Amino acid sequence: MKIRNMGSANLEAGPNMTPLVDIVMVILIFLMLAGRFEGQEHFLVSPTPIAMKGAGNMAPPPGYVPNPPLEIRVDSPTSDKFVATVDRIRTGDWVSLASQMKKLRLGMEAAGKKTDDIQVVIAPTKSTRYKHLVDVYQASLEAGFKKVGFAQAR
Amino acid sequence: MKRHHMPSSHVSHPNVTPLIDIVMCLIIFFMLIAKIGVTTGAEEMTIPASLMGVDIKDMANTLTLNVRPPADERSKEPLVTALVDGAKQELKRGQLVKVLKHFRYGPAEAAVANNRNDNPNFSVNIRAEEELPYRYLQPVLEAAAEANVKNVNFTTRKSEAFGAGALPGRAGGGGKP
Repeated sequence: MKIRNMGSANLEAGPNMTPLVDIVMVILIFLMLAGRFEGQEHFLVSPTPIAMKGAGNMAPPPGYVPNPPLEIRVDSPTSDKFVATVDRIRTGDWVSLASQMKKLRLGMEAAGKKTDDIQVVIAPTKSTRYKHLVDVYQASLEAGFKKVGFAQAR
Repeated sequence: MKRHHMPSSHVSHPNVTPLIDIVMCLIIFFMLIAKIGVTTGAEEMTIPASLMGVDIKDMANTLTLNVRPPADERSKEPLVTALVDGAKQELKRGQLVKVLKHFRYGPAEAAVANNRNDNPNFSVNIRAEEELPYRYLQPVLEAAAEANVKNVNFTTRKSEAFGAGALPGRAGGGGKP
């Protein structure tokens, strides 16, 4: 027996991909819209966020002499400027502050102080802007200090 | 003379196989890179930029505090919001200490049973507006100290604005966790 006209029915041998493409496109658009990317923010980590005035919870051991903190006084003469003062350094630029504080740290190390023992305390005024504090903070980190925190407002 | 015809194409629509290949690659890329449905409670605000900073991969043991100046300038308390128990909450000073102690030491009920879960690795991420005066940041730091939270992380924008050569001898990044 002859079978006629079989040719036209088998023109498309593979499976129909159209529904797959539809679903995949929907997933792609969802991921593009709903996704949030990492890498735009980072953190300045402080193990000693604020130095409180007054008595602590624990009495120091007998004969214990605490290391005096290295205080950086930060003033804001105007809302877009700051002046940081530490030891003999006085500057309004964080890059300059970092390089001068690095020299200060090296001098302290040469005098026998360990960097890990030096507590840097940023002492701002009440009106000092947070962005300026971040600048001073990163200058301290860049100078190689490990323990950086804040004091109560002057 | 008998003419040979060109064989007719079996498939009349365009070949979608390369399209599917590329789209599948894009989907796998987005699934690996993007964070979906993970919220830390971070709110949109202008945070300060910094060149220094570290990335924190594990945000599970952290609480993000959004700190803004109060709407009423006469108020001494900042506007602090955080995602607590899946809901955004505005936290006054007393509530903030309570919440931080909850994360630091476990529920207060456990204290009664003398069964507190000490969590010394708990840390707070502070997101504050770059123009925020320090008088509004200080109460948040004091609350963290009162709750005995050891680590406070200040969230900043990664910035290349200072330029790679801003500091001699380095190209950016730095700091240790």
